[in-house]
Amino acid sequence: MSLINTIENSAYATWVRESPSILAYTTILSLHAMGLAIIVGINTVVALRLLGYGQGIPVPALRKLFPWMYVGFTVNALSGLSLLAANAHNDLTNWMFYSKLFFIACAMVNLELTRIQVFDKPAASGVLVAPARAHTFAIMSMLFWSLAIVAGRLTEYPNFVQAWFGF
Amino acid sequence: MHALANLLAATHLDGFVSTHDWVWPVCEIVHFFGMALIIGCVGLVDIRILGVGKGIPISVLERFVPLGVFGFVLNITTGFIFVAGNPIGGPLDYLANLAFQIKMSLIAIAGVNLLVFYVAGIARAADSVAPDGEAAMSAKVIAAVSLLCWFGVIFFGRMIMYNDTLLYTLGL
Repeated sequence: MSLINTIENSAYATWVRESPSILAYTTILSLHAMGLAIIVGINTVVALRLLGYGQGIPVPALRKLFPWMYVGFTVNALSGLSLLAANAHNDLTNWMFYSKLFFIACAMVNLELTRIQVFDKPAASGVLVAPARAHTFAIMSMLFWSLAIVAGRLTEYPNFVQAWFGF
Repeated sequence: MHALANLLAATHLDGFVSTHDWVWPVCEIVHFFGMALIIGCVGLVDIRILGVGKGIPISVLERFVPLGVFGFVLNITTGFIFVAGNPIGGPLDYLANLAFQIKMSLIAIAGVNLLVFYVAGIARAADSVAPDGEAAMSAKVIAAVSLLCWFGVIFFGRMIMYNDTLLYTLGL
C-alpha cells in the first residue's frame, strides 16, 4: 500500500486531483470519454462492415481507420493512467476496475488479431479473407468493448455493485 | 427556466429514479453507448469528408448515419431521465448549469449544421465524390463544425458535474 500512497501523493497525482484548473481532472476525464467514443465508435463501424453491412465499402480501405483507433486507445491509456494515479486507492480496491482492464485487454488483443489476420495478410488486397473468422472477430470486438464500457461505468458505483453482486 | 423545470418535475421521474438504484447507472451506460455510436457513425463521415480514409466512399459511409441517429435517440431518452428525474436538486439543477447549457447549445448547432448539410445540397455533392476523391470545401466546413460540436458536447457533458471549475475558469 505504500507504493499506492507514494503514487497518490505524488505532485502530478495531487495536481490532477486537486488543482482548480479546468485542465486538470475535468479535462482529463473528458479526454477519457472522447478516446472511448473514438475507439469504440470506429470499431463498431468496422465490425458492422465485417458482418456485411455497408458492402459498398472495400474492406481493405478500413485498414486506414486503425491508426485512429490507436489514437483513441493512446489518449485513454494516458488519461486513464492519470486518473488512476489520482484515485489509486479507490480504483485498485475496486474489482469492477480490474474487470474493465480485463475486457479492454481482450478487446485490444482481438483488435490486433483482426488487423493481422483479416487486414494485413497479403491476400487481403482482395475483398475479404476468411469471412467466418472475420465475423467472429467483429462480434467479439463489440462484445468486449460493450463489457468494458459497462464495467467502466460501474467502477464509479461501488455501492450499487456491492448491493447487486453481493461483493 | 423555472416553468420548464416545473414541467419536467411534473413527470415525477425523480421518484422512479430514487426508488430504483439501477436506473441511474444503467442510463449512464446507455448514454455512453449512444455517445460512441454518434462519434463512430457521424464523426467517421466527418473525418472521411476531411480527407481521412480515402478509398471509403462517402455515400456508403453515410448509410451508418441512421445508427448514429439511433445513438442520439438513446441519449435524448436517457438524458431526459437524468434531467427530469434528477433526485437531488431536480431539473433546475441541470437547466441552470452553465456546462449543461453550453452542451445543449452545441447539440442545437450540430443539428442546424446537419440540416444545412442536407438541405443546401452539400450532402448530394459529397455523395458523388469518388471513393478516393476529395470533398468540396463547403462539405469540409460542415464536417469540421460537426466534429467540433460533438467533441464539445462530450467535453461540456463531462463538465456538468464540475460546473464550479468551469465558472472559476471563466472568472464567474
